[in-house]
Amino acid sequence: MSMLGRVLATELKPSTPHQFHFWTAADAVLGIGTIVRVEGDARTVFGVVTEAVAYADLARPMDAVIGADGDPARTADDPTLRPEIRLWTAAVLRQLPEEPMQPVPLGTVTAASNDDVRIALRMDAYVNEDASTGIPIGLYAAGGMSAPVYLDADFLVGPEAAHLNITGVSGLATKTSAVTFLMQSLFQTFPAGKGSVAAVCFNVKGPDLCFLDQAAPLGTDDLALWRQLGLVASPFTDLTVYAPYKADGVNLNTLRSHPALVDRVEPLVWGLREILDYAEVVLNRDDVDAKADALLDFLADRVVGKRFDAPELRAAPFAVETFADLDELFRAIFDHLETTQRGGEVWRTHHVATIRKVRNRLGNIATRARGLVTDDGVANDLPWGEFRDRSVTVVDVAGVDPLAQDLVFARVISRLREHLERRDLGVDHIVVFVDELNKYAPADGPETHVKKMLLDLSERGRYLGLVLFSAQQFRSQVLRRVVGNAGTTAYGRMDSDELAMPGYATLPPAVKAKLAALPKGELLLRHPHFTQPVFVRFPRPASLSGREGIEHFPPAADLPFADAVIQRLRLLDPTVRADDVRALLADRPEVEVRAALSATTRRRPDAPFAFFRGMLRKTIPNTTPEPARGITPLAHDDADPFAPY
Amino acid sequence: MASLTFHPLRRRLALAGGHTATAAADAAGGRRETASYRPAKLVEGPLRAIAVGAPIAWTEPVAFLDGTQHVELLGYLGTDPVLGADVRAAVRVRRARRLTLSTEAHERLVVARPHALARLAPSLPGAVRAIPVDDAEPPHPIADAERAHALVDRARTALEIEVARRFRAVEPTTWCLVDGSLATSPDWARDPQMLGVVKSHATLPFTDDELHTYLTLPAGHRTSIFAPATRQVAPVYAWALRLHEWEGKDLFHGLLRIEAPATEHTLVHADAWSRHLLAERAPLAADRRADRLLYGIHDVERYLRARAGGG
Repeated sequence: MSMLGRVLATELKPSTPHQFHFWTAADAVLGIGTIVRVEGDARTVFGVVTEAVAYADLARPMDAVIGADGDPARTADDPTLRPEIRLWTAAVLRQLPEEPMQPVPLGTVTAASNDDVRIALRMDAYVNEDASTGIPIGLYAAGGMSAPVYLDADFLVGPEAAHLNITGVSGLATKTSAVTFLMQSLFQTFPAGKGSVAAVCFNVKGPDLCFLDQAAPLGTDDLALWRQLGLVASPFTDLTVYAPYKADGVNLNTLRSHPALVDRVEPLVWGLREILDYAEVVLNRDDVDAKADALLDFLADRVVGKRFDAPELRAAPFAVETFADLDELFRAIFDHLETTQRGGEVWRTHHVATIRKVRNRLGNIATRARGLVTDDGVANDLPWGEFRDRSVTVVDVAGVDPLAQDLVFARVISRLREHLERRDLGVDHIVVFVDELNKYAPADGPETHVKKMLLDLSERGRYLGLVLFSAQQFRSQVLRRVVGNAGTTAYGRMDSDELAMPGYATLPPAVKAKLAALPKGELLLRHPHFTQPVFVRFPRPASLSGREGIEHFPPAADLPFADAVIQRLRLLDPTVRADDVRALLADRPEVEVRAALSATTRRRPDAPFAFFRGMLRKTIPNTTPEPARGITPLAHDDADPFAPY
Repeated sequence: MASLTFHPLRRRLALAGGHTATAAADAAGGRRETASYRPAKLVEGPLRAIAVGAPIAWTEPVAFLDGTQHVELLGYLGTDPVLGADVRAAVRVRRARRLTLSTEAHERLVVARPHALARLAPSLPGAVRAIPVDDAEPPHPIADAERAHALVDRARTALEIEVARRFRAVEPTTWCLVDGSLATSPDWARDPQMLGVVKSHATLPFTDDELHTYLTLPAGHRTSIFAPATRQVAPVYAWALRLHEWEGKDLFHGLLRIEAPATEHTLVHADAWSRHLLAERAPLAADRRADRLLYGIHDVERYLRARAGGG
């Protein structure tokens, strides 16, 4: 590498073990983020440029005015150009030897080579021929050279550290693209010896994550980037999108509804049993007092899904499987308190006010989360215990009520955790991607169940193999302990106001300025192995973005009830005949059809149509009996007043 | 405060049984001049102010020659003062508006009475030149120090002459502006492409009304050409040139004395050269003498000081 400059040190700008200054010629090719190598005093020091100044020998601004006789145009006529200094400040990445740690020597400065970048970022410890745990994240590029940058899998998905958090302004697709690319990289390079890995992505806005299995048309530059990183540009091959139904109960609430793509879309439907365990998600803090908690525990332990005898309410035992069943029980309790125990306020130690409150809140769920919560008791859930290695499960909650979103987050993450604790999820590591983290784990606001759960995930998830990839526009607005636990942090283009927040005080002004204008596809990256953050460029992911996906696969219009049922049955058995289904559905209540369809979707029987038909109640054709033919009526006699005809 | 440059010499002085001193000598950093009057002979009619016209920058390469000296009292051997000096000279050439080094020279000196030098000489590094002070006069620490200063001035001048010679060997026709008088060297005084730029006015060439005309010269004007009376070896022609307005400041503000070979050619081209020199007002040097210090000269001086370690 040719020499770029030379380290200088003065009393006011001394070299220290962590920082140094150097000067270069005005035309030297380097900038903020360039990694440099210093040689001197038998030491090698690697640093990253964090600040730069340039100035001439002009003592005072007034000298320029006097020298030009007050005419700015005349400055161009000066016979001599003032010499200009390009003075750079660099933060030390690594010193060799590492001990004793000393101030940076006044040596020569060169641009770092590929090998230098590997050593400077301490990647030599985990990127090697024998047992590499490196996950390509992007390219460090400066001065015409580029070098791959790797994250350490042990520090990305555990157990040493874990989690990734990315911050950046909205609208540049950087956050989603970066996470999508990193997941593709992770799936391709996750060391075999570390077990299996899968991803669960929450799609919280628009079609962002709905087309991850569809190949994106990549340009030559992007393909070259993929190759340089040693990766194959291919989309996810094992993808399932889970989405709740719309209010009609048959059309799925997702923008991935193009007929060519619906085969990988599954309904996400939960019943009372699934909801009750996470009731506190939908109850606010005032609601969840000890009394309400006790009643919910009573319902979960003694009532739901069991035969519940309450002779004081009615002779027959209750079989509570659905919200409707539960409401029947509540009505029986109220009847009992109002009639049998006139003026009574307590049923089995539970006060009537508590019972009414719990009934209202639970009833509210079915209304606000219609489509997600079924009233018929037939649920269709994520494949607990059957997650496949390198599979991606997208939970599309973009179109549902925020309360339902919270419910989905809480339940999915809690179940992931439970299964990982028992080691029966189907994979050893699961990456959970949550966008808009500032919405779900805000720095301010009440302690919600979702917030507590995300905090728990970020603090203890790495021991279980539960890894959080999260993104938000404003890191400063996210609970500090959640983002603080992210071993790897990335910043895309940032808003200037956000950069002015105290959380970014450690970034030099020039780095902030670069962040404020960072092009799409570039990130500032912090990783436990990197002493200082570095800028990297990553390729476009090999999957269609949400916007592209919508253009290529426009969402289908909502189908009429019968057509939607036919479509869902045909996903299970393409030979199902529309006329047969229509005939079967004629005049049947929709609620009954939905229940049968749910059961069929969940069971995936060998003969879906027959199963579906079997799940419907038997009906007697509604026909008007006609007079029997072939028997001659009795003769009519108008004169006979008692004649039958 | 004494610079670290002379630290090794002070150690050797101490080893030779001397008493070291840490104070910089008076007038450590430049030639010393005494205010005086030396009448000049006018060669271009009566003394008057002549407008030279609008500044015109040189388009061809121009060289700048300057020297620096740094003198320190190292200490005493007995009562004899021992001075150390660092003298430097360089020529930097401007091409396409950028200045780069053409040639430079450097010398480190120890100046003292001969017997003091004799005690010190065995331990002096080879790169240090010992210069004896004339010992015809009886020892006097202050007078000896002043004589030593004069010897350093002479050494610096010799170094400037040497770099000029080297420069001329490779660039015989490039314009060269010298900081100071051309009269110090017969070669310089004859060189048709060399001008002396004198900032100091300790020696004035006129009295009375002529002095008034001389010192109240308007900006952008020159005086009539005169031949200064000088102790130096080579005759030259000279004229004053005002670079900046002086009113409200000082009589000497922006006032230069320009020297050129004492030839008819100078009489013909004094205005044109003055216009070129006027253009050298900009950019303004970051120096307290900026009103008279051409930027190119300032650049050489700064270069030499940087080479000397900022002393």
